[in-house]
Amino acid sequence: MQPRTPTRFIDPALLAGISHLDLVAKTVVDGFVAGLHRSPDFGFSQEFAEYRAYTPGDDLRHVDWNVYARTGRAYLKRYRGETNSQLVLMLDTSASMGYSSHGITKLDYSRYLAVSLAYLGNLQRDAAGVIIFDDDVRNYVQPSTRQGQFMRVAHAIEQAQTGTHTDFAKPFIHFQQFLRRRGIVVVISDFYEQPEVVIKTVEPLRYRGNDLILFHVLDPQEIRPKLKEPSLLVDMETDDAIEVSPEYAKEEYGSKIDAHISALKTKANAANIDYCLLSTDRPLDDALREYFLIRKGRL
Amino acid sequence: MGFLAPWFLAGAVAIGLPFWIHLLRQYRSTPHPFSSLMFFERRTQSSIKHRRLRYLLLLSLRVALLLLIALAFANPFVSRSGATAGGPKMLVIAVDNSFSMRYDDHLARAKQQAMNAVSQLHPGERGQVLAIGSRVHFLTQPLEPADADQLKAAIQSIQPSDEQSSYGEFARALRTIAQSSRIPLEVHFATDLQKSSLPPAFADLRLGSDTNLVFHSVADPKQPNWMVESVTAPAKIYDPKKVRVQAVIAGMGTEAAKRTVSLVLDGKVLETKPVDVPANGPASVEFLSLDSPHGFHKGEIRIEPNDALREDDRFDFAIERTDPHPVLFLHPAGQDRDELFYRSALESVSEAGFNLEPLAVEQAANQSLSKYAFVVLSDVGMMPAGLENSLRAYVAGGGSLLIALGIHSAELTRVPVSNEAIQGSSYASLSGSRFETVAAADAEHPALRRANKLDGVKFYQVIRVDPGPSRVVARLTNQVPLLLEKQVGEGRVLVFTSTFDNISNDLPQHNSFVPFVEETARYLGAQQDISTNVAAGSYIELRSAKDRGAAIDVTDPDGTHPLSLKDATAAQTFQVTREGFYEIHRANGRQEFVAVHADRRESDLTPVPQETLDLWRNTGRGPDTPSSQDGSAAQNQARPWSLWRYALLLVLITAIIESVLASRYLSVEKEVAS
Repeated sequence: MQPRTPTRFIDPALLAGISHLDLVAKTVVDGFVAGLHRSPDFGFSQEFAEYRAYTPGDDLRHVDWNVYARTGRAYLKRYRGETNSQLVLMLDTSASMGYSSHGITKLDYSRYLAVSLAYLGNLQRDAAGVIIFDDDVRNYVQPSTRQGQFMRVAHAIEQAQTGTHTDFAKPFIHFQQFLRRRGIVVVISDFYEQPEVVIKTVEPLRYRGNDLILFHVLDPQEIRPKLKEPSLLVDMETDDAIEVSPEYAKEEYGSKIDAHISALKTKANAANIDYCLLSTDRPLDDALREYFLIRKGRL
Repeated sequence: MGFLAPWFLAGAVAIGLPFWIHLLRQYRSTPHPFSSLMFFERRTQSSIKHRRLRYLLLLSLRVALLLLIALAFANPFVSRSGATAGGPKMLVIAVDNSFSMRYDDHLARAKQQAMNAVSQLHPGERGQVLAIGSRVHFLTQPLEPADADQLKAAIQSIQPSDEQSSYGEFARALRTIAQSSRIPLEVHFATDLQKSSLPPAFADLRLGSDTNLVFHSVADPKQPNWMVESVTAPAKIYDPKKVRVQAVIAGMGTEAAKRTVSLVLDGKVLETKPVDVPANGPASVEFLSLDSPHGFHKGEIRIEPNDALREDDRFDFAIERTDPHPVLFLHPAGQDRDELFYRSALESVSEAGFNLEPLAVEQAANQSLSKYAFVVLSDVGMMPAGLENSLRAYVAGGGSLLIALGIHSAELTRVPVSNEAIQGSSYASLSGSRFETVAAADAEHPALRRANKLDGVKFYQVIRVDPGPSRVVARLTNQVPLLLEKQVGEGRVLVFTSTFDNISNDLPQHNSFVPFVEETARYLGAQQDISTNVAAGSYIELRSAKDRGAAIDVTDPDGTHPLSLKDATAAQTFQVTREGFYEIHRANGRQEFVAVHADRRESDLTPVPQETLDLWRNTGRGPDTPSSQDGSAAQNQARPWSLWRYALLLVLITAIIESVLASRYLSVEKEVAS
C-alpha cells in the first residue's frame, strides 16, 4: 500500500471551494491508478482465463486447435479481456441530504464522490451515467461512451438540488426499465429507511448480474450528535419536531444509529452487495481508496 | 437584630413568582433542523433541571431582589451601643433658665454642668447651646465644627428668666433639630426637673430615634419653698376704705412655719400681719384698707423671712385709685323713666365704678364725649345736628355706645351710628301672642354672661331692625333681633331693640336686669379687658380690630419700649416675659398698669419621677432599653440602628444586575430567533 501523507488527502471542505465539479473530480482522482475495472464478460485479450469443453453451437474460432491436436478433444480457450464497463451512479437528493454540521452538506459530499467516480469511469472509457432521485427520478443521463459524456454527467450532478423525502421503491423500479446491460451500480444515499426495505429494493439489481455498491453518506453529527442543551430538532423531510435532551442524543440515539449501520452492512453483505460508510468529514480520496480496497480482486 | 415592621416579611412569599417564571412557564426552545428524526422518540424530556441550571444566576437574583424588598419594608435593625455607634453626632447642650432655676444656686450649677458637658465635644462635631424657658432660645447656631470656647461663652451668657419652663417645647425643638441635622443628637440637659414643666400629653415629649437625652439634675433632695401664691385686689379703687386685698401664702415641701406678710404700696409698707402657714398648705391673709392717692400704684405682698427662692416671696399687683367713670345717659326731654331704672341698677353695684350723668338729648349737641366711659342713647329718636357725627367719631376712636330703641326710634329709618335699617315696630297685642320672649341668645357674650339669657322676660314692644353685618346676640321668638353688636372703628356699639323702662318689657322687674346692666357697663366701659395681674409669658391684648389704628405704647419694667413703631400700630397682642410692671398707653388715651408675676407653678419644685424620665428618654428607642441617668452609662446603652437604607441600596444594586443579565439573555434569545 502506498504510504499516506498529510498532503495526500484533501479535506472535503476545501473541495467545496472549487466551483466546477469536473475540476473536483480531477483533483480527487489524480494519482489514482486508472482502468482497473475488470469486465464481467470474457472477450478478446491476451490474458488466458480457462478452457471449456466445446459444445455444439460454439464459435469454432475460439477452439484451441493445439489442445485438440494433443488430446483429440475440442476445447474452447477463454481470455479475460479488458473491456468497457457500464457505470451507473444513483444519487439521492432527498431533503435530508442537505444536512450539514461543518460547512459541507451530505449532498455536496455525494456530488464530489459521484463526479469522481464518473471521472474515473471516463478515464478508462467506461460508459458512465447518472440517475438523480429522491421520491422519484429527477434526472437521468444514460450511460454512454460518447464524446462529452463526462461533462453531461458532471452537469447533471451539479444541477442536483435537494428535493423532498426519500422513496427507494419508485426510482428503483423506474431505473430497472433503463438498465439493459450489466454493469456497476453505485447508490449514494444516507439510507434513512429500514435496512430490510433498502436491501429488498436494491437487491433485484444484483440478480441481473450487476455489481452493486452502497455508499452510505452521513454527517459526523448524525453518527455522534453532540448537544449541549435540550434542543428542538426539526425533521428536514417531514418538518416534525421533537425536543431532545443531550443525554438521549448521546446514549440512546448513538446505539440506534450504530445498530442501523450495522444492520445495513450485514444485510448488504448477505445480499453480496458492497457497502461503504462515508462520513462527510473524511477526505474524499481516502474514501475512494477504501472503495478500491473493497473492490480489489473482485473484478 | 430585629424588625420594626416584621409583618412585611410575609411579602417574601412572592419569591414563588420567579420560580414559576423559570420552571413552570412554557419553555421556548430554539428549533434546530436535523436530517431525520427516525431514531428519535417522541417523549417528554425533563429538561427543567437544565433550564434551572442555565438561568440559575438570574433566578437567584430575582429571588434575592424580592427578599430584599420584603426585608427593606420590614425595617430591620441591629442594636448598637452608643459608645460604639461611631459616626458624626451633634452635641446639644440645654440649660433650663426658667423662674424656678433662681432657687438657691441652681442656675449656676446647671451652667457648670453644661460647661462640663462641652468637654465631651469631639473634634469635628457640631454643637449647639439652648436655653429652655416657655420657649426654646437658640443661643448658638449649629456650628460645624463647634468651637468649645464659643459654646462655653454662650452658656455663661445664660441669665435667669421669669418664664415657666416647658419640656414639651424643648422636645419639639429637639425633634426639629434632629430632622434638620439628620445626624444623631447627644443632648445634655441641665435642669431642676420640675414636674410642673411636663406637658399635659406625654406624646409631646417624644424624641427622635437618634436622640440620646442625658439629664443633669440640679434638684436637691429637699427643696422647701414658701411663696405668695396669689393676691386678689381690685384693679380700680374708688373708695380706699372699702378695699379688700387678699393674699394666699403657700408652702411646698415645707414644715409648718410662721411668716410675716406685708402689704407694700409704691415701696412703702402699709400693713404687716403674721400668718401661720401649715405644712405643705396654704394660708390666707386679708388687708381691709388700701389708703392711696389718685393714680396708678405698684402694690406688693411680701413674706418674710425669705427662703432660697426669694423671687416668689413677693407678689406684685397693679392698682389704680380713680373716681368713678362718668357715663352719659341721653334721653328725650321729659322722659326719665328709663334713666331711673338704669341708674338704680348701675348704682346697686358697689364696685362698678360708674357715675351716671343723665342729659336730655336736645342739650347734648355740643357735649364733649371723650371723658365718658360709654354713652347710652335711650330711645332718643331724632338727634340734634352734629351729635351723631360726634358720637360716630367717639366710637371710632375707641368709645362705646349702648342704644335702646323705643317708640321714638320707630320714626327713624336707621339706627344712629351703627346704621342698621329700622323696619318698623313690633307690638304684641292681647289678641295675638301678648308678649315675646328670648328664643336664642349667646350666653357667652359678656352682656348676657350673668343675665341668664334674659330668661322669662316678656317683651311687648320691640323695634324691628335688619341686622345687616351686625352680630345678633339675642333674638326673640318672632325672630326679631333683640340685642345686636357692631364694631365701628376701634369702638363698639350695642343695640337693644327695646327700652329700659317697664312699659315695653318687664326687664327691670327681673333679676337679670342688674347683671345685664352691670356686665353691659363693664363690657362697654372696657373694664373687663383690663388684666392688671398676669403671669409671665401671658399675652396682653392691645387692640381688637385687625386693621391698623393709632399707636399703642408699651413700657416694660426697665422703662424701655419693647414695641417697634410698626408693632405699635399693628400688633394685636404683646407677650410679657418679665416680672414687674408694664405700662400701656392705649389708642383712646387710656393708661393701664399691668403687674406681671412669675407663674406660681414654677414655685412647685417637685421633681419628675424617675420612671417618667426613663420613659421620656426611651421614647426614641426600644422599650427594653435599660435606663440610667448617668451620662457615661447612657452612652453605652444599646440603640436600634435601622438597616432599611442598606437593604434598599442592595435592592437597587440587585435590580441593576438583574436587568443587565436579563437583557443579555433576552438579546441572545432574539439573536438565535432571528
